Amino acid sequence: MADANSPALLSAEGLSSFYGRMHALKPTSFTVRQGELVTMLGPNGAGKSTLLRALMRLNKAEGTVVFDGHDVSKLSTHELAELGMIMVQEGRGLFGQMSVRENLVLGAYTGRSGSGIDSSLDRVFTLFPRLKERFNQISSSLSGGEQQMLAIGRALMAEPKLLMLDEPSLGLAPRVAYEILTTLGNLNKQGLGILLVEQKAPLALKLAQRVYVLSLGRIVAELPAKEIKSHHDLAQYYLH
Amino acid sequence: MIDLTQILQSLVNGVGVGLIYGLVGIGFCVIYNASGIVNFAQGVFVMLGGMVCHTLLTRLGMPLIVAAILSVPVVAGIGMIIEICVVRPMWNRGAALFAIILATIATQIMIERITILTLGDQPRTFEEFTLGGPLKIANIAISYQLFWILGCGALMVFLLFLFFTKTKAGRALRACSQNREAAALLGIPVHHMLLLSFALSAGLGAVAGILVTPTQYTAFNVGTPFGVNGFIAAIIGGFGSAGGALAGGVLLGVAQAAAIVVFGAGFKNVAALSMLLVVLLMFPQGIFSAFKGSGKGH
Repeated sequence: MADANSPALLSAEGLSSFYGRMHALKPTSFTVRQGELVTMLGPNGAGKSTLLRALMRLNKAEGTVVFDGHDVSKLSTHELAELGMIMVQEGRGLFGQMSVRENLVLGAYTGRSGSGIDSSLDRVFTLFPRLKERFNQISSSLSGGEQQMLAIGRALMAEPKLLMLDEPSLGLAPRVAYEILTTLGNLNKQGLGILLVEQKAPLALKLAQRVYVLSLGRIVAELPAKEIKSHHDLAQYYLH
Repeated sequence: MIDLTQILQSLVNGVGVGLIYGLVGIGFCVIYNASGIVNFAQGVFVMLGGMVCHTLLTRLGMPLIVAAILSVPVVAGIGMIIEICVVRPMWNRGAALFAIILATIATQIMIERITILTLGDQPRTFEEFTLGGPLKIANIAISYQLFWILGCGALMVFLLFLFFTKTKAGRALRACSQNREAAALLGIPVHHMLLLSFALSAGLGAVAGILVTPTQYTAFNVGTPFGVNGFIAAIIGGFGSAGGALAGGVLLGVAQAAAIVVFGAGFKNVAALSMLLVVLLMFPQGIFSAFKGSGKGH
């Protein structure tokens, strides 16, 4: 797990993004340290998803992004993925007409996994045993929770250095959301850097080391996750 | 009075030309699946397949088999040039798909003009791959070239199936067809996949052109009818489905052949467009997609 002295894995300076003429993300700066789990909180429309999309260059973006010591501001989406920045989209982004197996194998497309596809699959099945049972099933036929497990499992097949997730608990039953977020917490304990975007997730806050709060396209607060209880207004909104 | 032999003969001919439409239709699907673009220059690849093969045969004196095999990568290369010079710049500037589709029509016209200027406007043909024949079965004449078309068509579909299901690039191309953003997020270079789809599609068109030229002729302007019929075949099969496009091509070829026998040669295109209309009215997603309950797939 990360502490305040851990080096930065990702740092963004003045990252901003537009939808047409609308300034959806105003110049924003933040960091994720090596092995840290950071949660981005904010109400609907605060710019959380835009921030992730700008980071991965899915939207046009300005500003400087340094990842693992390299300036990646000019790189395209697939080049960022090759470096180990892997994002799980809101809505999961599965290849619905492909099987669970094909989705997982595509996760290893960049070939970053030095240990090979089979051992990466074993690791994913250890985390999400249900995916093994559904191995040859078409992914669109999975339940919502299983689809989210597959989306995260597929991202893990790429052996990411930084895993970014856009509202992974959205639309899931509380028990399933708990199971998935707990797994993310365990992955973080093993040293994986995670940037988690959530609207309201008490568990996500318990797992996180640091929290950024977004509102109207800008970061309005940054604090250690354990301090959020002492901020009455934030605690009331995000912990209940 | 139409006799049974005449009907069977026309069906055999219809299957042959229908397989060619099917290959062209698959070419449409490959590019459409990777990008959402309907490449109306698809027919030009059929023309180029025949023209390049004929040129290698007559001007460079190559044996037929060598000329045929070499023509495919040459035309695939032309497909890649179209992607790099026409499609990619527009794609990168965020042009509407409609504008890119119009640009492919312009590209077809331009390539036809270049073909006239460099190779002339006269129709040309070359000999069938296997000389002799036709094979006579109960008064039905079957050209040996039809067996080549059947064999190569089946081989192409089998190879495409292996490519799309067993290879890393094929799976990546399918991933792009289903969700380009998600594909890019996994490190798949979507632009390279688009280039690959143009190469594949042009190569398929070239194979179709090389196979069909001995049964009729090739000229600068044969691309349009093959393109239109291949497009109809793809729609009948459910746009995006390779197997559907091939089956749609065979249905179309047989329908055209039957219309010629029953109503006369002038009704060939009437039959094709009527069939398209009926399919669109009854199965807007295509006949085979309606049975599968899905619009895409390989």
